[in-house]
Amino acid sequence: MELKQETRERALIVAPNGVIDHDSAPAFEEQLHKVLKSADDGALSLIIDMKDIEYMSTVGLRVLMRVSKRAREASVDIKVAGMNACMCEIFKISRFDKVMQVFDTVDAALAG
Amino acid sequence: MLVRFWGTRGSIPKAMRAEVVRSKVIAALVAADGRRFDSETAVARFVDEELEMPVAGTYGGATSCVEVDGGEGDFLVCDMGSGFREFGIDAARRMAEGHSKTFNIFMSHMHWDHIMGFPFFGPSFDPEVKIRFFGGHDDLEEALRRQQEEISFPVPFEWLKANIEFNKVVPGETVEVGGYQVSTVKQYHSHDSYGYRFEAGGKSLVYSTDSEHKDDDPESEDMFVEFFRDADLVIFDTMYSLLDAWTIKQDWGHSSNVVAVDLCSRAGAHRVAMFHHEPIHDDADIHRVHTETIRYEELIGRNSRLEVLCAYDGMEVAL
Repeated sequence: MELKQETRERALIVAPNGVIDHDSAPAFEEQLHKVLKSADDGALSLIIDMKDIEYMSTVGLRVLMRVSKRAREASVDIKVAGMNACMCEIFKISRFDKVMQVFDTVDAALAG
Repeated sequence: MLVRFWGTRGSIPKAMRAEVVRSKVIAALVAADGRRFDSETAVARFVDEELEMPVAGTYGGATSCVEVDGGEGDFLVCDMGSGFREFGIDAARRMAEGHSKTFNIFMSHMHWDHIMGFPFFGPSFDPEVKIRFFGGHDDLEEALRRQQEEISFPVPFEWLKANIEFNKVVPGETVEVGGYQVSTVKQYHSHDSYGYRFEAGGKSLVYSTDSEHKDDDPESEDMFVEFFRDADLVIFDTMYSLLDAWTIKQDWGHSSNVVAVDLCSRAGAHRVAMFHHEPIHDDADIHRVHTETIRYEELIGRNSRLEVLCAYDGMEVAL
């Protein structure tokens, strides 16, 4: 799994791709914690661009939960953008949409 | 093997209030939309085929009690929540018709909602009845005696006429009870709980309630996947949403619908029954969560098909 990064308008945007499952989740978490530290150091918010994520199992949701918790502790604003229809449904069913800031696109997340 | 649900609610019994019955009647009449029915049979068909579960029925409010009916031989029951009272009434009827008077009862744990039916279990006053308890706790007998002490209940345990024995089961070991091969797993819950896998005649049932699956313990997850492996039915604690189970209700000892589907799908189980329903939830809430859980299984069930059932008081599942 590749994690593309860019900085725009005081936000660090990271874009994972592929499938987040048992195999890829550890690397995904390690990389997210690194970018979270970068965001914290640079006083940036963190946007996870999910448009290239085909599917994320609950193992991936656990990663998001832990990173989100760490972000709150570090006072880093964290947002999720660009999820496909399947991921939107999984967020709703798991009730993650109640605690994560979810946006249709990165541009919407930057504006939100 | 027939699995009969006598109680499916979690934590505390939930009675249906008058306004809930009224709302169901109103919803049914609205759905009928002025239609005329020429017989009670036609009405029953309308209720059974056209009304959704929250309108036509109820998930019920009795706490955990599940019977495993092999068709002959001894009774086999998991837990003695408030549904155990109804089971006892039916068991007395069946004993009068010649059924065995031996009860093999497997206890997940001894929290109130899992033992409160025992003081109201009529057959325990029958001297011809034998009750064999099985559980992983050392203090099972103490818990049952304590709830019948005078300060809480007027009939002390010593007054019971049935022949009662207590048997300890050990996780990882398999015992033969009443024609079933029974294996045990220890579960994460306050004061521990135990799950059971019953196998007979090529069929397998797992009873796993009051079990929290931690989000950072993959080894435990793998162990449960093996325990559920290829089961015909897994009865699973789905009390909370995934979010609640991992956040505000972490360490409360319960699990979620999402984890139920994840584990049972990985295990190749054929069916999962959502169980131990949150008492705050009404029938519409439970029905909505059931619908969402079916959808979640469709979203992730890439290679296999897991049938998602939602247990209700009175439901029977043939394996």
